[in-house]
Amino acid sequence: MSYRKLVLLLAFLLIVPIAIFLVYAFAQGWFFPALWPERWDSELFLRQLRDPQVRRGFEQSLVVATGVSGLALLLGYPAARVLELQQFRGRGLIYGLFFLPTVVPSVATGIGLNIVFLRLDLAGTLFGVMLVHLIPVLPYVVLTLGSSLAHYDRNYEHQAAVLGASPWLVFWRVSLPLLLPSLVVAGVLAFLISWSQYVLSLLIGGGKIITLPMLLFSAASGGNYSLIASLSLIFIAPLLLLLGLVARYLGSPATGATPRP
Amino acid sequence: MQATARKRIWNLGLLIGLLSLIIASCGSNTATPTSAPSSTSLDLSNWTSIEQAANGQTVNWYMWGGSDSINRFVDEFYGKALKERYNITLNRVPVADTVDVVNQLLSEKEAGKTSGAVDLIWINGENFASLKQAKLLRGDWGQSLPNSQYVNWNNPAVNLDFGEPVESLESPWSSAQFQLIYDSAKLQASDLPRSYAALKEYACANPGKVSYIAPGPGAFQGTRFVKQALFEISGGAEQWLGAFNQQLWDQWSPKLWEYFNDLEGCLWREGSTYPKTENELHSLFANGEVDFSITQAIAGAGSLIKENLVPASARAFVFDDNMIGDFNYVAIPSTAPNPAAALVLANLILDPQLQAAQILPENGFGLGYGIDPTKVSDPALAAKLASAAQQLGDPATPASDLAKSLRSDIAAEYQSLIEQGWDANVLRK
Repeated sequence: MSYRKLVLLLAFLLIVPIAIFLVYAFAQGWFFPALWPERWDSELFLRQLRDPQVRRGFEQSLVVATGVSGLALLLGYPAARVLELQQFRGRGLIYGLFFLPTVVPSVATGIGLNIVFLRLDLAGTLFGVMLVHLIPVLPYVVLTLGSSLAHYDRNYEHQAAVLGASPWLVFWRVSLPLLLPSLVVAGVLAFLISWSQYVLSLLIGGGKIITLPMLLFSAASGGNYSLIASLSLIFIAPLLLLLGLVARYLGSPATGATPRP
Repeated sequence: MQATARKRIWNLGLLIGLLSLIIASCGSNTATPTSAPSSTSLDLSNWTSIEQAANGQTVNWYMWGGSDSINRFVDEFYGKALKERYNITLNRVPVADTVDVVNQLLSEKEAGKTSGAVDLIWINGENFASLKQAKLLRGDWGQSLPNSQYVNWNNPAVNLDFGEPVESLESPWSSAQFQLIYDSAKLQASDLPRSYAALKEYACANPGKVSYIAPGPGAFQGTRFVKQALFEISGGAEQWLGAFNQQLWDQWSPKLWEYFNDLEGCLWREGSTYPKTENELHSLFANGEVDFSITQAIAGAGSLIKENLVPASARAFVFDDNMIGDFNYVAIPSTAPNPAAALVLANLILDPQLQAAQILPENGFGLGYGIDPTKVSDPALAAKLASAAQQLGDPATPASDLAKSLRSDIAAEYQSLIEQGWDANVLRK
């Protein structure tokens, strides 16, 4: 099979679930062996769009995911820089520590951290939820930025510094443009991971913070396919939009191949 | 340059280490209670003072959120009334499983919080027992609400929650009774099995067209299905009432497993797998794989039809005997941040007008009365309750059938014996 066919097959596999959501969100009373739903109805979907709970969930998800994405870059960029561009004792160990959260199940960290966060009065706050999302998010941000920095030529920065640029100017005019694609990809990745967090949001949010996945999970526990599909569409729409916006960064330069001189 | 950079990193590491130490020690210091307990100051004998205290509060009601129609009923009927009558804002917090709320409350206790996030919980059964055991529920109010006069607290189905004494820790919301659902487009009412014995005959005459929900924690419907068979096989439910009786169990349980093992070969997929939730069974039923589903709603199939979960021709029915009925409740955690508003809401739930609204399938809730309609003396309200009961329509089981077959639940010890016994003697055999 040629690569082209393989890519088409993959695309098909990725599109089918979305098509199924579309059908189920609007088909009402569709039972086997009927070939066609009893009727098509957008009422349930539109009601979810108007529902204050869903709107609040959407807003809070948006705030949290955006915040996490910013925080993750703020913390992840310096970390990745030090880990990739400096040689020091214990570097491998620290790199490993960064990846520990990907191995430990989030229920375990979540339950323990909930008690700590409750004591610190961070539980039930947007900031608390953002902080806890950083645990699963940071490893991927550091990995993405790190692999890009592995090919990064610091001589450009030295050159600018020699010519008299301040460290801030060096970052703004040299590092940032060179690393932009991987920063964008890392930021989007952070957003995606935060957007789909359930267990950690549930535990740390304690019901005061309601995110879309929490609404989605509680709907899923009821087994009403139309409701689940409607909420799923609302859940994936911003992600598709976001991916569309950054599509040009997602190609080959994504994980690091900034052009070398 | 390399050397200074390295030094800087070590300094940074040291700084971070110190910072985290400071944060950690702050954490353990604040473990002592920080906010004053607000729960003790409410005077339930002076209801007006409670309503005044609740004015302007937000009540955080944590409840299972899997049904769009129940969610809407709560927002439209309680949310609006709370705002208009008492200036209370309802914050309905949907959870996928009530055990999440139990865990939240246990974490809050662990962290030494006296003011938490949860004001009211929709609860019954094992979650109630856990919270009662952990002493996490407010206990001075259930039988003191003004509308509590409409509740029949002498009914063991009300004052025992899965065999656990309710005391004043909960207040009822609604009632439920075990029923089956069939499709009137496919089956005649006269052909329906009306006992467990007849169900086995039906299943073996129509192999693969019957299934039931696997008993187990979180699937009380399945446990109840097996428990009712125990009533029939042992010759009646009366002997099972009262305290747990090991001898009686040892006498009849082998016969019970015999029945279910005989039935197994005739079941959907020959009993190699069972639906785990009511909704899985509804889905099998709606798609014509099995002939019967299970519901607990007084509106029968009515609310399910409205939600498009089952075909419009679905109807509810009961066996001639041994159909277990019970109540579900709301409870207030002792750490509720807005206990006054929670009390007002718990009282509002028992308002006869809203009770009449909750049983009607078109309003989306569809469970039965939490109150006893005969205790409502106001003629207009009593008429409203009676007329609502007459408007349930075809998808509901006739009230006389329900009453004739109604049995109350039995001691909690049988619950786990049935769940473990079924797992060992039926599922794994």
